[in-house]
Amino acid sequence: MKKLLMIGWKTLMKPSGYYSLGALVIGGFVAGVIFWGGFNTALEFTNTEEFCISCHSMESNSYEELKTTIHFSNRSGVRATCPDCHVPHKWSNKIAAKIRASKDVWGWVFGTVNTREKFLVHRRSLAENEWRRLKANDSLECRNCHNFDYMDFTEQSDRAAYQHSTALASGEKTCIDCHKGIAHQLPDMKGVEGW
Amino acid sequence: MKNFNLAVIASLLVLAVSPIMYSLNANAADKETVNSVATLRDATPIDVQKEPNRIPKVVNKDIKQGRNYPMQPPVIPHTTRSYEVNKYNNKCMSCHSRHRTEKSQAPMVSVTHYMNRDGNFLAEISPRRYFCNQCHVTQLDAEPLVENTFTDMHSLMKQKTANAKEH
Amino acid sequence: MTINRREFIKANAIAAAAAVAGVSVPAIASNLITSSDITKLKWDKAPCRFCGTGCSVNVGVMDGKVVATHGDIKSPVNKGLNCVKGYFLSKIMYGKDRLTTPLLRMTNGKYDKEGEFAPVSWDQAFDVMAEKAKETLKKDGPTAVGMFGSGQWTVQEGYAAVKLMKAGFRSNNIDPNARHCMASAVGGFMRTFGIDEPMGCYDDLEAADAFVLWGSNMAEMHPILWTRLTDRRLSSPHVKVAVLSTFEHRSFDLADNGMIFTPQTDLAILNYIAHYIISTGRVNKDFVSKHTNFRLGETDIGYGLRPEHPLEQAAKNNGKTAGSSTPIDFEEYAKFVSTYTVEYTSKLSGVPEHKLEALAELYADPKIKVTSFWTMGFNQHTRGVWANNLVYNIHLLTGKISTPGNSPFSLTGQPSACGTAREVGTFSHRLPADMVVANPKHRAIAEKIWDLPEGTIPPKPGYHAVLQNRMLKDGKLNFYWVQCNNNMQAAANINEEAYPGYRNPKNFIVVSDPYPTVTAQAADLILPTAMWVEKEGVYGNAERRTQSWYQMVEAPTGAKSDLWQLVEFSKRFAIEDVWPEELIAKKPEVRGKTLYDVLYKDSSVGKFSLDEVPEDRLNDDARDFGFYIQKGLFEEYATFGRGHAHDLAPYDRYHKERGLRWPVVNGKETKWRFKEGSDPYVKAGSGWDFYGHKDGRARIFALPYEPPAESPDEEYDLWLSTGRVLEHWHSGSMTQRVPELYKAMPDALVYMHPDDAKSRNMRRGDLVKLISRRGEVQTRVETRGRNKPPIGLVYMPWFDASRLVNKVTLDATDPLSKQTDFKKCAIKIVKV
Repeated sequence: MKKLLMIGWKTLMKPSGYYSLGALVIGGFVAGVIFWGGFNTALEFTNTEEFCISCHSMESNSYEELKTTIHFSNRSGVRATCPDCHVPHKWSNKIAAKIRASKDVWGWVFGTVNTREKFLVHRRSLAENEWRRLKANDSLECRNCHNFDYMDFTEQSDRAAYQHSTALASGEKTCIDCHKGIAHQLPDMKGVEGW
Repeated sequence: MKNFNLAVIASLLVLAVSPIMYSLNANAADKETVNSVATLRDATPIDVQKEPNRIPKVVNKDIKQGRNYPMQPPVIPHTTRSYEVNKYNNKCMSCHSRHRTEKSQAPMVSVTHYMNRDGNFLAEISPRRYFCNQCHVTQLDAEPLVENTFTDMHSLMKQKTANAKEH
Repeated sequence: MTINRREFIKANAIAAAAAVAGVSVPAIASNLITSSDITKLKWDKAPCRFCGTGCSVNVGVMDGKVVATHGDIKSPVNKGLNCVKGYFLSKIMYGKDRLTTPLLRMTNGKYDKEGEFAPVSWDQAFDVMAEKAKETLKKDGPTAVGMFGSGQWTVQEGYAAVKLMKAGFRSNNIDPNARHCMASAVGGFMRTFGIDEPMGCYDDLEAADAFVLWGSNMAEMHPILWTRLTDRRLSSPHVKVAVLSTFEHRSFDLADNGMIFTPQTDLAILNYIAHYIISTGRVNKDFVSKHTNFRLGETDIGYGLRPEHPLEQAAKNNGKTAGSSTPIDFEEYAKFVSTYTVEYTSKLSGVPEHKLEALAELYADPKIKVTSFWTMGFNQHTRGVWANNLVYNIHLLTGKISTPGNSPFSLTGQPSACGTAREVGTFSHRLPADMVVANPKHRAIAEKIWDLPEGTIPPKPGYHAVLQNRMLKDGKLNFYWVQCNNNMQAAANINEEAYPGYRNPKNFIVVSDPYPTVTAQAADLILPTAMWVEKEGVYGNAERRTQSWYQMVEAPTGAKSDLWQLVEFSKRFAIEDVWPEELIAKKPEVRGKTLYDVLYKDSSVGKFSLDEVPEDRLNDDARDFGFYIQKGLFEEYATFGRGHAHDLAPYDRYHKERGLRWPVVNGKETKWRFKEGSDPYVKAGSGWDFYGHKDGRARIFALPYEPPAESPDEEYDLWLSTGRVLEHWHSGSMTQRVPELYKAMPDALVYMHPDDAKSRNMRRGDLVKLISRRGEVQTRVETRGRNKPPIGLVYMPWFDASRLVNKVTLDATDPLSKQTDFKKCAIKIVKV
């Protein structure tokens, strides 16, 4: 076994007898660009709403529920799409999220949530994943749009202004602590703090 | 007979001023006039339709509105858009239940809400009161079509107190 | 005594304000009034004015005004609760536009159909009315005279009206608005059981293990029953709730199995459940063999449209035989329903197979006690009687009936649809206690109780609600009196039928109402009417509970109760004006008398003196007529049902009770009918006894799925369903005048799926037109909120007088019950 690996390694390390070094460097660079570009394009394609809701379960549950909420239709027409909230913007986090999300493909193949009933059964754990992520990153995806520094409390309702200027300002709470179920319906909230 | 005479006088009066009344009718300015026909249609003929108003906004000022009598369920002074009250969750209770009011500073639901059908107190909200929206409603920023002349018992009592002191 | 500056200023300000207002204020008054003389309220009980649930409310009166209301803690129905409408009952009588004088269309001081409304006295109003009625009777006979009444009439009012129309004017053209609401339920009961009204009662709500809502949005339409159902579901985790509808609504918030089905396919789902019960071997054979028999019903029965309509031309059995059936056996029935497989039914209805199976299992499992509730989804259906029959089938196949928790339960929309419309029989084909005019024996019984000559009551059923509007339009019904309802807003297809009918120059239309409604607007004479606790009366709710109330406040000067109007008007007719000589000759002592004498004062109605009216009680009607008229009418009416399984208690007892469920035998009410031990009419040793039919058996009907009268097509591409909302009751004539209720739900919007809006380039709030083959109505788009229609269906409530959605609806009816289908027609929506 060890021998075999050594032979392979030596072959790889052996200089080319056919191509010039320059050609190899340029060729490698071009191939890298093509590969990288292709990878990113494919990755970015999976970051579109269109891709998300191409899966029936997403379309008829998550997306259908989103349609009547304020994150879909509102005063100014600024709309949140699936990846805005569910895919981190930072590259390393994004890749991590994608690796986690590859589990969804498994679910899709085996029909884990292919009916509304099954979806509802899993809803609590699905929601908890998202709450955990947002809690851990201090509601980063919320804050990508809702920047605390630029909130005008005088434009908010009294209740909202009070909570934002105290609990949120002090860092005692983060967005997701209070704003659960704002874009999709809630799971059974038994035992969840604040409920 | 007295009624009859009054009515005759009234009808004569109305006949005399009827042209004025019609013009009032025409511009729908007689909401105040008792007996104007089809008040809720703004006196629009049945085979015509007035252009509907815009959808009004929910009053979201968090200012408590007075009750007409003590047993009246208070109206909700804020929006409840996307508030879920279903068999899994009760969003209202995340602020208005006993153990949440300290944090939320929202009024606690009335103690009657802890009573079951037989009037015994339970440790939590009675399930018969679970769906808040059966009694409590938000208010839209719309001007009522007809005034209501309901009298608050308090104003009747004040009047009586005044009369009693006078004599 | 010291007084600081702030208080001084405040006290001065108050004094100044008081001086302006002309009231004197005591020098220093406590901010709290504690004297019991002053704070005391007079409390009394009354049934709620709104729906058929029949909650009892306590009404607080001070200085002749209703100042507070709350749920009656002593009432077994609501145990201290009310819905938001019930809590605001205090304000329904105080809309500023209460009518206080009759209004007649006049030109130059004389009645003119094209004139403008002007006040007249009651005398003048009745003069014109009597003249028009007599003219019509003389010219075209009793069939040209008609009345449209209500399930909101008190029992006494309905009874007085039946007597006036059927015996006095000898016209069967009297029908209640309950025709729009309950007629299919009545048809279902009569066909399956031979006797009307539910066998179970609300106690089923605390006993059932499963609830199935068939076309009933109880969360909004029967909120207090919904509190009981919610209580049961949430406090007993094993309880299951299944909800079926053509769109998602608030009742789905509690559903364990929510199902959206394509309109009309409920018929198939019901047959599928029967098939499931049979094919899984869960038929209760002992029950079925002892207490039921099977029948094959007539099919292809048409859609109750005008005879020249192509659908009626095409229908094979839309005549008199539409309701007929032939006996079959169990095997034939089993074969009949076997075509309704889960695959076929799922495909037709759009409900996933596993959901249908879960639903069917609730009925099939012998260990689950199941209660089915339904309202307008079944009843307002061109096959409404069938739908009722089919739900009884599945309860009968499993023997799940008449025991606590096992209950097929038809809910009611109006406070006395059961008590007045059905039990009193204010329908064009009915008499009190489930009797019908077409049956000579029944007519004879009525004529005997009424002490009238044989042949007084005409044998031919009169015009039902929908036919009345058509006959008005055709000029065959010319004198028409509408009481206690708002049919110009409530009836389907008003554009083509009701409106041209009311305004037909041949007709004289009288409308009695507390408020100037749309119907009043279309009338020729408007009569100002007293309402609710401004009079004494009795209502009967959906669980056979009869409840009474006393008059608590005076009506506004000039307004009179419907009862007073009916009885007072009868004074205007000499018997010779209305009866032919040969009828009078059979009972010569009526000669020279008025209808008032014959029907009320000198009959058994007049035998209770004023002494029986409690002295401290208001009773303007009784004191005006000089006898206890409400008691007289009630007691005479009660003789129809006593001893015939419709027994009512003595009148006075109802004033002491929070209602009693009939039959009341030996002073005891009946909770579950047809079951030995709880129903005194059941033969000993029989277990169950469906005594409405002579053979004591209930009928299981083989009836198929048939398509609706109108379905969406290329041009009219959407289903339209109409209905009510929580905050408004029926046409909103009372609730729209309560500011809090108005502001909670001011306008009727059209609820659409966001994708349906998007594909039409519309968004929330857009001004749109709903257009059908019959008319159009404008409103605004709502894409979110409490109702979530599926793609292809829209929902618009009908409470809004400014947007009459019934200009668009189709007046297709169930050919058996004559009830209109308000739940499905085809429309298109365009932007304005």
